[in-house]
Amino acid sequence: MADFEPRIVAFCCNWCSYAGADGAGVGRLQMPTNFRIIRTMCTARVDPEFVLRALSKGADGVIVLGCHPADCHYIGGNYRARRRIALLRLILEQYGFDAKRLRLEWVSASEGEKFQNTMTEFVNTIKALGPTPVQKEVN
Amino acid sequence: MSFFDRFKKKDNKKEEPKVDNKEKFAVKKDATAPSLCGCGAGKTAESVEANYSKMADLGELLPGAPPGGKINLAIYWAAACGGCDVSILDTNEKILTIGDMANIVMWPIAADGKEKDIEAMEDKSITVSIISGAIRNSENEHMAKLLRKKSLIVVSYGTCACFGGSPALANLVAGGSKEILNYVYEKTPSTANFQKDYHPGKPIVPQTKCTVPEGDLTLPTLFDTVKTLDQVIDVDYFIPGCPPLQESISQLLKAVVDFAYHGVALPPKGTEIGVTQTSLCDQCPRHKEFRRITKIYEPFQVNIDPDLCLMDQGILCLGPATVGGCNARCTRAGQPCRGCYGPTLEVQEHGASAMTAIASLFPVLDDDGTIGEDQIIDIMSTIKDPLGYFYAFTMGKSLIKMAVKEKGGQ
Repeated sequence: MADFEPRIVAFCCNWCSYAGADGAGVGRLQMPTNFRIIRTMCTARVDPEFVLRALSKGADGVIVLGCHPADCHYIGGNYRARRRIALLRLILEQYGFDAKRLRLEWVSASEGEKFQNTMTEFVNTIKALGPTPVQKEVN
Repeated sequence: MSFFDRFKKKDNKKEEPKVDNKEKFAVKKDATAPSLCGCGAGKTAESVEANYSKMADLGELLPGAPPGGKINLAIYWAAACGGCDVSILDTNEKILTIGDMANIVMWPIAADGKEKDIEAMEDKSITVSIISGAIRNSENEHMAKLLRKKSLIVVSYGTCACFGGSPALANLVAGGSKEILNYVYEKTPSTANFQKDYHPGKPIVPQTKCTVPEGDLTLPTLFDTVKTLDQVIDVDYFIPGCPPLQESISQLLKAVVDFAYHGVALPPKGTEIGVTQTSLCDQCPRHKEFRRITKIYEPFQVNIDPDLCLMDQGILCLGPATVGGCNARCTRAGQPCRGCYGPTLEVQEHGASAMTAIASLFPVLDDDGTIGEDQIIDIMSTIKDPLGYFYAFTMGKSLIKMAVKEKGGQ
């Protein structure tokens, strides 16, 4: 268990968080490499099905990153996303997941440092939670 | 004279020409497959009425036995309530003439065919097997596999067979079959008292095998997860619905009749019979306004406006995520859609689809830019039991099919 390296899917919105991640990279900020970024145009593009699919395929955690409230490129996309993610967290809890496996965070284009901190923190959370409880399908 | 012969029309009694058995199922090249969907893929918006699923035209009554002799028909129920079997009787007087077309070799609810009779038949000798219900125990699985072996066409009939239906909600019991049996036989008030009074300290629970003086008695094994029919066997057609509509059944019947009598090609494999290309909202006659949900009501808590969309009235309806085909019977009657017809054709996750739609209907608040995530969770918590609500009928087909258990980390 000590050498458990989680696999994390990070959905980043094109306008803020992806640029934020880029900024973190350009600034050479050190952070764990356990996550794979998927760029979406907006957090509202992240269908809960994406998250469930990631979890069903063995992701240990999913993080959705978007523009700060009132800062969405599409005006209201992140408001919708946060409602969906909140509801999805309730559903994941009902499944028996620890809701901490799904996280929503706001990272703007200039917040490379926040991106670094968020990802480090999230990776540590998932490491503490252990591997995903989803079992590989038998058939 | 068989029971069904009494209902035969006189002018249908003339002998049908015998056809060589080899040509019995030869498909005519020029014959076209009948359109089974309520609206074809290439259809434009002709009229709203055209969107409604209609009864297939079966003519007056079926014209006696098919040219190649009667076909074999098997109807089986797995983990089902029996409503699907009853819905087959919804074909009204047509059900009586089905006896002219087919020998019903198995129908546990109504006819006397047994497992050994099916086993004695040749492979592929049953033309159509209609199987309703989810696969929940070893007997269900065995019979589904047996019927698949003996049948040309297997139809997954009803929501339980197609998507798991309400039996599949049992997948959310973390302890699986053991916990379920334990609860049912030892914990419910009636059984707990019974066990306490009659078998104190040693509750009687069903065993898969039991030896009595006359020999061994066996019971099927309950599975930990409820499966859909197509997760166990290869399925040719799907008819969703809880139960499927009369219109869907008539369309299936028409396809089978055309195939058996005229050699018309069957629809492509995997077709969902009796559904439209669009969501239920398209068939629902209610007037949609600016749908925003600020407070959720159950249907009994409000006087439902008969013309206004149920979402506008604060009643959660799964219509936006559910495929059309049922002619919106529930919403017409003032009850919200619970999603028994399953997801639209391109979607796998019915629940996630419904959840996406409904979560977006909660309006953006004036102070939405400043409130924290906890408040959003409070708002969304007004939906009680979201997992059970959004996946009421489709748990068996969802991406995460069963309850999980966190093991804890470092």
